[in-house]
Amino acid sequence: MAKKRIDDYEPGPVPPPAPLDRFGFVKPELSYSHDDSMKGRSAYEYEREERRVRKWRKMIGVGGSDWTYYVKRKPHVVKRRIRKGIPDCLRGLIWQLISGSRDLLLMNPGVYEQLVIYETSASELDIIRDISRTFPSHVFFRQRHGPGQRSLYNVLKAYSVFDREVGYVQGMGFLAGLLLLYMSEEDAFWLLVALLKGAVHAPMEGLYLVGLPLVQQYLFQFDNLVREYLPKLGEHFTQEMINPSMYASQWFITVFSYSFPFHLALRIWDVFLYEGVKIVFKVGLALLKYCHDDLIKLPFEKLIYALRNFPEDAMNPDTLLPMAYSIKVSKSLEELKQDYEKKNQKPVQSTEFNEKQKQSQERFLLSKRS
Amino acid sequence: MARRADEEYDYLFKVVLIGDSGVGKSNLLSRFTRNEFCLESKSTIGVEFATRTLQVEGRTVKAQIWDTAGQERYRAITSAYYRGALGALLVYDVTKPTTFENVSRWLKELRDHADSNIVIMLIGNKTDLKHLRAVATEDAQGYAEKEGLSFIETSALEATNVEKSFQTILAEIYRIISKKSLASDEPGPASIKEGKTLVVGGSEENTKKPCCSSS
Repeated sequence: MAKKRIDDYEPGPVPPPAPLDRFGFVKPELSYSHDDSMKGRSAYEYEREERRVRKWRKMIGVGGSDWTYYVKRKPHVVKRRIRKGIPDCLRGLIWQLISGSRDLLLMNPGVYEQLVIYETSASELDIIRDISRTFPSHVFFRQRHGPGQRSLYNVLKAYSVFDREVGYVQGMGFLAGLLLLYMSEEDAFWLLVALLKGAVHAPMEGLYLVGLPLVQQYLFQFDNLVREYLPKLGEHFTQEMINPSMYASQWFITVFSYSFPFHLALRIWDVFLYEGVKIVFKVGLALLKYCHDDLIKLPFEKLIYALRNFPEDAMNPDTLLPMAYSIKVSKSLEELKQDYEKKNQKPVQSTEFNEKQKQSQERFLLSKRS
Repeated sequence: MARRADEEYDYLFKVVLIGDSGVGKSNLLSRFTRNEFCLESKSTIGVEFATRTLQVEGRTVKAQIWDTAGQERYRAITSAYYRGALGALLVYDVTKPTTFENVSRWLKELRDHADSNIVIMLIGNKTDLKHLRAVATEDAQGYAEKEGLSFIETSALEATNVEKSFQTILAEIYRIISKKSLASDEPGPASIKEGKTLVVGGSEENTKKPCCSSS
C-alpha cells in the first residue's frame, strides 16, 4: 500500500456555518447561560482591556525588543501581570517571548521548512489519524484536510522528526492546536520545541518520553499533595479507591487544553509558560478545594464523573486562579520528587540520556543556542 | 438522562477496552453506555470510564468499563487498569489491517499485566465502512478460535452488534464466576462499591441520539 501524505488529500467540504464562541469553537446546541465567553462586554470592560494592552505594549517594547531587559529588571511585575492574564491580542507574541521560542526561530532559519518538506517521519500515519480528532469543534480545525488541519499536521510532523526519540505522542496535538490559534506554523513549531526541549526553561521536557516517566512522577506528587492539603478528601479518595491517573493525566499531558473551557486554559497557559508546571498542580488543587464539600460526599462512580466534569462556576478563571496562586507547592513538590526518585531507585532522566538526545538534534540546529 | 437512586446490582464486572488508536473504542463505549456516537470525537488521553447496568442471565450486572488510550506510549499508564479486570474487549478496525495484526501484541500485553483467567473478546469494528473492508471476517474468526477468544464484528456508528458484544462477554464472565463460586463456595465476585449509576434509556435499535456535546 502506497504511503499517503497529507498533501495528497484534497480539502474536504467546508463545514456548514455554525454559531461560534469568541474563541472560534462551535457553540454546543444547549448553550450554557453562564458562559462568560459568550457574554457581550461592557464599554467599561473594553476600556480596561485597552489600558492593559497599552501597559503591556510599553513593557515589551516594539516587537518585543524590551522584553528581556524588563524581565531581568522587574521579574515580579511581569509575574503579577501575567497572572492577571495576557491581553488576547498580544498573547501569541508574548508566549513566544516568555518561552524563548523567538530566539530559537531566529537562530535556526530554514530549519522548519527543511523538516516539513524534506524529512519523513515514522509517525506520519499516527499523526494523520489524530488530526481530525484534535479540537474537532473549532472552526479552524473543522474542515477535513483544510488549512488548519494541514498546519497542525506540519507542526506535529516536523516535531516528530526534530525529536525522533520522542516522535509523536497523543496529546501533543492539543498543544500544537492551541499554539496555532495564536501564531504561524513556524512560530508554533519553535514554541513546541521550547516547551519540550527549550534553551531557557522547558516546562514539558521529558513529559512524552517512552514510559511517560514524568507523567507518572507528577501523578505521584499530585496524589500526595491532595493528602497534604486536603487530608479529608485524600482519605475519601483512598476509601473510594480513586487515584489521580483516573482524572488528572490529561491535566499534565495537555496542560488543561484537552477538555477545559478555552478561556480558562489560556489563562493557565499564560502562567504555565512563565512559572512552569507548578501551576498545573496549583490549579488542580484549587479545583478540588473549590468542590471539596461536594466531592467528599460522592461514591466512586459519581466521584469520577465529578472529577471529569467540574461545574461552570468552579472553572471561572477569576475565582479559580487567585485560589490557585495562594496555594504554595514548591517545597512539597521538591520533597515528593525526591521521594519518588528514591522509590523508583533512579532519577527520572539521566544526564547521559540528555546528552545523547541533544546530539541527535544538533544536525537541525545551525547554530548553538545560548 | 435520568438517574435512579439506590440502584442495586447482583454483580459488578470490571471490563477494559483495548486496541490500537483510532479503532473506535470510545465510540463503542458511548454507544453501549449512553447510546451515543460522536463523529467529531477527540482522541482519548489516558483513561475514560463509564458504567451500565443490565440484565445478564436473569441477574442484574453492573458493567464498569475502562476505556484506554490506544497509543503504545500510554501503556505505562493504561496497563495498570488491566489488574482486576474480568473481561477485555480487544478492538481492531476492519478497514485497517495493521490494527488486526497488532492484536497479538495486545494479547501479550494482557498476558503480562492482566489476571490469567480474564475473558477476552475480539471485536472487529467499523463494519459500516463496507467498501473499505480490509480484514476478512473468516481470518479474524479463525484467529480468535486459535487463540481461544470470542469474536464479533460491530459498527458503533450504526449500533450493530454493540449490545450483543457486551452482553456476550458479560454473560461469559457471569458463567465463569458463578461456576467458580459454586465450586469454592465463596460469595460471588467482589461487589466493590455501592454506587448510583447512569441509567440508559431506550433500546439502541430504535433511538439514536445525535452527537455528544463538544468542548
